[in-house]
Amino acid sequence: MVKIPTKVLIVDDEKDFVEMLSLRLSEVGEKVAPAYSGQEGLETLEKTSIDVVILDIKMPGMDGIETLREIKKQYPLVEVILLTGHGSTETAVEGMKLGAFDYLMKPADFDDLSAKLEGARKRKDEQEERIRKAEASLLVRRSGGSF
Amino acid sequence: MNNIRLLLVDDEDDFRRTIAKRLGKRGIAPEEAGNGEECLAILEKHPMDVVILDVKMPGMDGIETLHHIKEKYPKTEVIMLTGHATTRDGVDGIKKGAFDYLSKPIELEHLLGKIKQAHEKIRREEEKLREAEFRARMEQQLTTTERLASLGTLAAGVAHEINNPLAIIKESAGFMKLILGKEEFADMPRRKDFELALGKIEKGIDRAKRITLQLLGFARKDDSVLAEVNLIELADEAIQLVDREAVNREIEIIREMAHDKVTIWSDPYKLRQVLINLITNSIHATGSGGKITIILEGMGEEVTLTVKDTGQGIPKENLKRIFEPFFSTKSPGKGTGLGLFVTRNIIEKLGGTIKVESRIGQGSSFSVKLPKYCEIKESLAQDERVDFLDKIASHNGSKPQ
Repeated sequence: MVKIPTKVLIVDDEKDFVEMLSLRLSEVGEKVAPAYSGQEGLETLEKTSIDVVILDIKMPGMDGIETLREIKKQYPLVEVILLTGHGSTETAVEGMKLGAFDYLMKPADFDDLSAKLEGARKRKDEQEERIRKAEASLLVRRSGGSF
Repeated sequence: MNNIRLLLVDDEDDFRRTIAKRLGKRGIAPEEAGNGEECLAILEKHPMDVVILDVKMPGMDGIETLHHIKEKYPKTEVIMLTGHATTRDGVDGIKKGAFDYLSKPIELEHLLGKIKQAHEKIRREEEKLREAEFRARMEQQLTTTERLASLGTLAAGVAHEINNPLAIIKESAGFMKLILGKEEFADMPRRKDFELALGKIEKGIDRAKRITLQLLGFARKDDSVLAEVNLIELADEAIQLVDREAVNREIEIIREMAHDKVTIWSDPYKLRQVLINLITNSIHATGSGGKITIILEGMGEEVTLTVKDTGQGIPKENLKRIFEPFFSTKSPGKGTGLGLFVTRNIIEKLGGTIKVESRIGQGSSFSVKLPKYCEIKESLAQDERVDFLDKIASHNGSKPQ
């Protein structure tokens, strides 16, 4: 079976981390875009189609929660997985209330991360599928059901 | 007044016995002593609240006895009895620490009044002392709480600074392992050695990760703060926070406070949480036009806060279960079933109790009884983190070996 790559955006101010995680995810067949700040992440989203964002909570400037709000406002279908470095589960929970798919503690286990990526991707696909069906039935109704 | 420990000292037997008998009829039978020496001997074995002391006695006189009493038992109050027209003795006595004096012949009501005043003074002094002790303990606890808070910040900072590089190492090692597993590397010389080393790196990372997690868990605990809490202000604050919801449902919230100032020593944030939980529950149980009354009673060692509503009431079979975790009669998604469970836990931690009374169709009433001085059960002095902080502090001064 040919794997359909998930389009992943990694947003973290730790450049080395972004670089290595990108290499690793690319190696297992995902399509990865890096960003080193919340602002840069949003710019990337504007230009590139993304399925899942892996987002660090603690960043200078625009932090993860702010970035998450903006992502969910502009791209409600894009799924977000939060990364937390200092074990503040409270912030992670706040993030999930704002619509994040899940969160992971740094350093994260790669198998965990892969599983969550897949879950997020699946949720997005299903949501898009539902939207497609709804649009189709809307179209049918508008045209009076006669094609 | 009935539990006053009273000692009557006079060398005139008839006078003493008469007074003792009449005091006994009023419910405060005194111990008796015929002279100063006897008085001190009794005090040695039985501490007294109030001593009624004749000034003019053979042997050790009243003034000298007073001197001994005040030296050895400063908390004991002394009422001097002076002969007619010798008020000088009485004034001397007061200068030496007597509570007051009465001139013979004495009127019983007068004497009773003085005893009562002396007793009141003792009670006030005790209260003041207790409050001062509590304040001192609080201050110490506050310092400890501040130190612990800074430990929490430090630990979170350290964990963050370590977890980030750990994540980099982990991704790098993982990436190498991934590459090594590729077909093109099947014949790589000494591949096993590389794999062994990478395995060790990963194990090391996991160990370090566990430590940072432990450090975080160790540094953050749910700490209670103790402070002087004005319950009336606290009730107002809680009402204000839920008022909008009450107004929306046309529910009136009434306060019934017996005093204008009721202060206790407890955790203000947790207590506010308790009040908000109870009032919110009442709002949800009460229909439009209903009433919620917040009653504050008691002033001594305990105060009782009651939240009473005119709502639907709680069926008997549910009354026993409402404090259980996850028990809720609200529709799924509306209530967590944790509100009252958490509320009771908080109250018990603050040394109090909660009771509920309810009647279907008439309403429910939740009464919270709280001690005036809350002793938080887990003492900070026994907290393992304090040891840890002390160890860190002592290391600062030592030189590396």
